Amino acid sequence: MSDETRSYQDPADHGSAAPSADGVGAEAVPTRRRVLALGAVTAGAVVSIRPALAQTVGSVLNCEIPVPDPGRAGSYIDADGKVVPARTKGAFPPSSRPFKGEEVKRAMANGSTLPGTDSERSRAYVKYIRRLQRGQGGFTCFASLQMPRG
Amino acid sequence: MHDSLYHGPPEGGLLVAPLDEFTAVYHRASGITHLLTEPAPQILAILGEGALSLDALLDRLGLDYDLADGTREALAARLAELVESGLVERA
Repeated sequence: MSDETRSYQDPADHGSAAPSADGVGAEAVPTRRRVLALGAVTAGAVVSIRPALAQTVGSVLNCEIPVPDPGRAGSYIDADGKVVPARTKGAFPPSSRPFKGEEVKRAMANGSTLPGTDSERSRAYVKYIRRLQRGQGGFTCFASLQMPRG
Repeated sequence: MHDSLYHGPPEGGLLVAPLDEFTAVYHRASGITHLLTEPAPQILAILGEGALSLDALLDRLGLDYDLADGTREALAARLAELVESGLVERA
């Protein structure tokens, strides 16, 4: 039950820069700074575990992604893939039909354009699709496309 | 090129569980879980407090830690991984 004085490993530890009136008296050691290696990881510092729904390979290529999702139908998509009000200058009108998972997968894999679009519009749409989040139309389809290539 | 700001998910957007060597991070918005190794959790913690540029983030990490390989290139590579994973957005 004793208070072990462990090295504090909270990633958000800020090492209390401001002098504080601490009555604890446990700070005999001057702030021991941790060493953090920024480049030591060559294989990457992030491994993503996709949701189980990504296992549904069969349906992936036929699922559909509307641009934008039905909740925001009629809105335009700007060059960064953000949904903006209709007729925003420089933004692209919504897609007249949803894209098939296969079409999106191809566009994301090799940069080919989505059917019925030119390269700039296609790029904007793909950015929009990459930003999809759970609960938005097409997210499940998009998440399924994120499987590691087998 | 590196002047853009990087920011993490909004408060409450992540569930973070340290697992010895790894830190598991569940991203609520995407429903995806990520396993992070250093320095990714540290970067994420700082960017969770507010958006920073690459240089500002490097300075901030330098305040908190003794950096090894503390170059812009190394940090940019780590940030690129976090952006790719969807945990960090470039504004």
